Amino acid sequence: MDRNPTLQALSDWLESTWLSEAFISQGYWSWPMAESLHFMGLCLLVGSVGLVDLRMLGMARGIPLAAIHKLIPFGVAGFLVNVTTGSLFLVGDADQYIFNDSFRFKLLFLLVAGINVLCFYSTVFQEAKTLGPEADMPWKVKLMAGVSLACWIGVITAGRLITFYRP
Amino acid sequence: MEAFFIWLETSSLSSWVRGETGWTMAFPVIIAFHALGMGFLVGVALAINARVLGAAPGIPLTLLSRFLPVAMLALVVNAISGILLLVGYPTKALTNPVFYIKLACIALALWNLQWFNTNILGNKVYDTGAIPRRAKNLAIISTVLWAGAIVAGRLLAYTYVNLMSI
Repeated sequence: MDRNPTLQALSDWLESTWLSEAFISQGYWSWPMAESLHFMGLCLLVGSVGLVDLRMLGMARGIPLAAIHKLIPFGVAGFLVNVTTGSLFLVGDADQYIFNDSFRFKLLFLLVAGINVLCFYSTVFQEAKTLGPEADMPWKVKLMAGVSLACWIGVITAGRLITFYRP
Repeated sequence: MEAFFIWLETSSLSSWVRGETGWTMAFPVIIAFHALGMGFLVGVALAINARVLGAAPGIPLTLLSRFLPVAMLALVVNAISGILLLVGYPTKALTNPVFYIKLACIALALWNLQWFNTNILGNKVYDTGAIPRRAKNLAIISTVLWAGAIVAGRLLAYTYVNLMSI
């Protein structure tokens, strides 16, 4: 398949940046170490955002949403670790990602997760946070929790499959 | 040992895992499940550790055990997917010392989780009360063990000596 010249230019540019050079020049172990951090970030994300989603879907009733939501900073930290390490992978070997269908699906899932989280905090969160520990969440909250969980499962799955869809 | 590796690698299940017969996506799909299982198993464990160490004190600690079935399902998914990956490439894993480090980390971390379940998560005193120093130390050790399992697991792709015996 012919490559889009704009994407090819983007890929070449990313690989020519100082960050790409800086990451690759760290040697053989820099890649697996960044991958290990990427996996730990994933676990932090699932262990906070994933559990809050499960709580909103009705699991672990009795835990107030406001209380379990205090775990979210761990998920944000995990996400930031993964944006950092993910950016290193991208600039380090841009060609492998830019023309990779699984990477594109991963970005799509991330985009939907991002839109979903913006909708969640700008609409239902303030109300949901005040509900009692045993309360059943409104359907809108459950819907957004379900979308969030599905998107992160999609991100992990598409992310893990990237290596099998190298161009 | 090599005869055992050859026997396993020539089995139909092993070649199925490697995607050589039938479904070419078998290996990628198995490994994707392994990553998802990791996320939920380690995620729940890390949430418990964080709570024990003082984060989100409003969560009644005993109720956090309601997420353990998710962790146990993830453990089953990872035991099955892990065994399948091992059947696919037994030489690769079993001749690599890093694989045994990974297994040791997981075994100790699960033992730790079991200890938490018995001694801390079942005791309502800790829902709002102070958590013993010993439990906090174990939460730190648990976090280190899960990190060790993840690093060792990732390194399996980089440190193997022999891929196959056949």
